[in-house]
Amino acid sequence: MAIFNLKKREIECKVVYYGPGRCGKTTNLEYVFKSYKKQVTGEMVSINTEGDRTLFFDFLPIGLGKIKGCDIRVQLYTVPGQVKYSSTRKLVLRGVDGIVFVADSLEVRREKNMISLKDLQSNLKEYGKSIFKVPLIMQYNKRDLADEGIPLMSIEQMDRDLNRQLKVPSFPGSAVKGTGVGVTLKACLMETLKSLQREFKWAK
Amino acid sequence: MDISLQIKSLLNEAELYRAQGLFPEAKDKYHAASDLIHKIGKLKNKDSLLKAISDKIQSLEKKTAKVETGPSSPELSEKGQNLIKSLFGENDLQKAVVLAKFGQFERAVVELEALLKDDVYRVDAGKNIIRCKMAIASVDDAIDQYHQWLSGDLFTGHQLESIRTYLQPIIDRKGIDKILPVPVSEKDEINTDADSGGIAFSMPEPEEEILDITSIGITFTNGSHKGKMVEFDVNFQSGGTLSLIISKNDKGLIDELKEGDRLDDIQFYSPIAMFKGTAVVTTKTRIDTGPKRGDFCLDIKVTST
Repeated sequence: MAIFNLKKREIECKVVYYGPGRCGKTTNLEYVFKSYKKQVTGEMVSINTEGDRTLFFDFLPIGLGKIKGCDIRVQLYTVPGQVKYSSTRKLVLRGVDGIVFVADSLEVRREKNMISLKDLQSNLKEYGKSIFKVPLIMQYNKRDLADEGIPLMSIEQMDRDLNRQLKVPSFPGSAVKGTGVGVTLKACLMETLKSLQREFKWAK
Repeated sequence: MDISLQIKSLLNEAELYRAQGLFPEAKDKYHAASDLIHKIGKLKNKDSLLKAISDKIQSLEKKTAKVETGPSSPELSEKGQNLIKSLFGENDLQKAVVLAKFGQFERAVVELEALLKDDVYRVDAGKNIIRCKMAIASVDDAIDQYHQWLSGDLFTGHQLESIRTYLQPIIDRKGIDKILPVPVSEKDEINTDADSGGIAFSMPEPEEEILDITSIGITFTNGSHKGKMVEFDVNFQSGGTLSLIISKNDKGLIDELKEGDRLDDIQFYSPIAMFKGTAVVTTKTRIDTGPKRGDFCLDIKVTST
């Protein structure tokens, strides 16, 4: 849940990168950390990784400056993707204001994407939130691997698999090259701030 | 596609999946490549190629085992633990509990033990210490801890009874044949004093023990929610007083619940039982600081169950 300080006109909100294991959530955050130095307000913390796998979460604080007279601060998190870290994912998701769902474009990961999206829906439900109402953006990551001759799903197929009912904004991406990272985050922040505006009417 | 091209493509795919950390997918492709190679009658370096693939598969199996059997919540550095506390906990109790939730049990126990000194947190801290002991060691350790507290004077009989009613169902569920001794109640202590011939004080009757309530359902008898049951999580419990947080977004509910209101139809949910009862709204306070700013904290006193 976002913190809104009426006196100081400050909003602090939480955006979580969700998705199956090895889909590129941490890589997204690393790219933001590396490339948006002006906005980054602190160190990126990766809490413990085993063989490059996120065990707890990654954390990166950023600031968007003043928007409509309000100072906007955002905490970016990633969740561990592996199925066995279900309880950690749920903990990190608590109080989320906006979500980037990072899907893996590799054909062999099709089922994992769908399982992870179902997991997101179920965890949100436990916090009394609907996946249809929470600000959500899709990123179809690893599009660069098409150049390596590796079978990828088409954007249309991924939309059919993951976004047929949700109909949320979706972007192709290559987090490792930085393609689509900024636009995905920007879209998520816009949706999140719009949702907070509906809730708090902060931008009067 | 030419068979050699197929093999090349499979190996290429396998290598890329391996580099991506997708070990099962990489293994499948290596196996598929190996099957194809077996089918070729004459192939230069066939044996050495199969051996190389077999080595790759073995290495992948080792890596997969390492990932799968690795500790799911290893002990973090103090800095990491402090970060978890600051990001996920609001008050001292929550900060300690969140450490336990992230598997940082040793540090959680240290922080919870410090909270035992605080009367407000003592019972909850005690229960969470029990939880940590069961996670780190065993139920026996948790039982030992209970006995240790029972023989000391840190907890009142009433507080210790609350811990006993938390731990006993866990012991029962695990099929362990142990009955925790009921603490000597404050009332019994007073009676002993009276028997010794000292001055007999008139003491209030001890409150009836209320189970740990995790959530409640209030059925409204008037207002816009008339006839509807609305569920609330119990944020904090001290004996028969339950604290609930009502979001500022539920303005209707906030307006309909006033101090002194009698709630005649409440469903109480505890980990071991569900029961009906009545309660009175004792206080309603707006939260002015912290992340729940703007929400309301409602204290209700259970009057009958």
